[in-house]
Amino acid sequence: MVWYLQLWATIYEGLEKIWVWTPALLSSTVVTLELTIASVTTALVLGVFLALGKISRNRVVKSVTSAYVFFFRGTPLMMQLFFVYYAFPRMLMELVNNTVALQTGGSWAWLGTFFIEGPLSMENRFFAAYLAFSLNIAAYLAEIIRAAIQSIPKGQMEAAKSLGLSYHQGMALIVLPQSYRRMIPPVCNEFVMVLKDTSLVSTISLMDLTFQTSMIATNQVSTLVYLPAMVIYLIMSAALTILFNGLEKKLSKYD
Amino acid sequence: MTMIRTEKINKSFGGLHVLRDISVSVEQGEVICIIGPSGGGKSTFLRSLNQLEKIDSGKIFVEEQLLLHRDKHTTVRRADKETYQRLLLEMGMVFQQFNLFGHKTVLENVTLAPMRVKKMTKAQAEEIGYALLDKVGLREKANEYPAKLSGGQQQRVAIARALAMEPKTMLFDEPTSALDPELVGDVLSVMKQLAEEGMTMLVVTHEMGFAREAADRVLFMADGMIAEQGPPEALFTNPQNERTRQFLTSIL
Repeated sequence: MVWYLQLWATIYEGLEKIWVWTPALLSSTVVTLELTIASVTTALVLGVFLALGKISRNRVVKSVTSAYVFFFRGTPLMMQLFFVYYAFPRMLMELVNNTVALQTGGSWAWLGTFFIEGPLSMENRFFAAYLAFSLNIAAYLAEIIRAAIQSIPKGQMEAAKSLGLSYHQGMALIVLPQSYRRMIPPVCNEFVMVLKDTSLVSTISLMDLTFQTSMIATNQVSTLVYLPAMVIYLIMSAALTILFNGLEKKLSKYD
Repeated sequence: MTMIRTEKINKSFGGLHVLRDISVSVEQGEVICIIGPSGGGKSTFLRSLNQLEKIDSGKIFVEEQLLLHRDKHTTVRRADKETYQRLLLEMGMVFQQFNLFGHKTVLENVTLAPMRVKKMTKAQAEEIGYALLDKVGLREKANEYPAKLSGGQQQRVAIARALAMEPKTMLFDEPTSALDPELVGDVLSVMKQLAEEGMTMLVVTHEMGFAREAADRVLFMADGMIAEQGPPEALFTNPQNERTRQFLTSIL
């Protein structure tokens, strides 16, 4: 009977620990959630413009947006994050200090200072993460959105044009609204990936759920903490999926 | 008045020369059926009139005003922006695949362009919309989505949608080709009614019965050229051109 009692004692002890960790885990969950929501919404807006740029007949617009997507999909997200956090502000500052500020006798020095002390400062980890993630996700969403737009039969735009609507009206009123439903499953998939990919921000010491979890694991020498952390991620992923399924159903009303 | 006139229009897709020096004029109230084998350029001709295809060379006049003059793939002259848009709107189009806006109800399909392009109020547009749906016999479907309608019903909505912009000429691009045989009749009777009301119509079709009954003139197009044209009786009973004869025996 002893092993049996010991088992329960261990489980109880574990649960007690988890109970103690919960506030810290939940507050870092808020950071993960905020970062995810802020990045995906910004990326969604940017992604629509990138997608429209990629299918644009204007060659300059097309090549600029294509290059953007090529770059952000072709380099590691973690390196992009490091670049935005460590390199970018300093590069801008040096640029300003060595050119404009030097020529104008320092009266533009505030701009250089702004780059390292403003929203991009080392203390402002969240903003750097938000910026890097938004830029990165936008590239992936652009491809999803472009594919959805191009899956709408050409006849829709032709009908719009034959009724006197401009290309922009046809896009905004006819093609885009019909493409929304088609992009929901891949966009949902992308958002779930982002939710998990935000764990990368622990590399710049932003106190998200992953960073908090590993802090607890190290400081308290208990690896049990990974379990509740993963459960929290699971709950968030599930919530996202349910939300998107509902959205898809709502948008399917005209089929 | 001459509603549409083309002067030697040409169009190629890659190496394929689909329109060769097509010159046609369409008088007000005239109903013209364009027949001929697939790939003969019928649809391309229709689509190049309302600029869904860009011609390589030639001139297009609408209501005796120059819409577009192109030569060697470049625009020589074109009507000023306002006139251009107005002249384009004088042509309404009905497509083989209906192309109804799937996310809009039947009524919204009809009222969208009058509201967005002609800046009508919703009430004005809906009044016109209901009247046109009455005309095509589909008022009771006003609040349905297109997917709920049969092909024939969808095509009649598409006709109402085009009519809502009050075009002077209607272009029909194989309007019954995608329909089940039993649904063709309803669409054709709406078209006949339009013809009787004096609408100028250009109809690309395989419905020889309709052409015989409703057309004032039939154009036979093959290999990007108008091989023969004339009143339906003459063309159907006594074709002069060898290609026309072959085509007519193959389908009748």
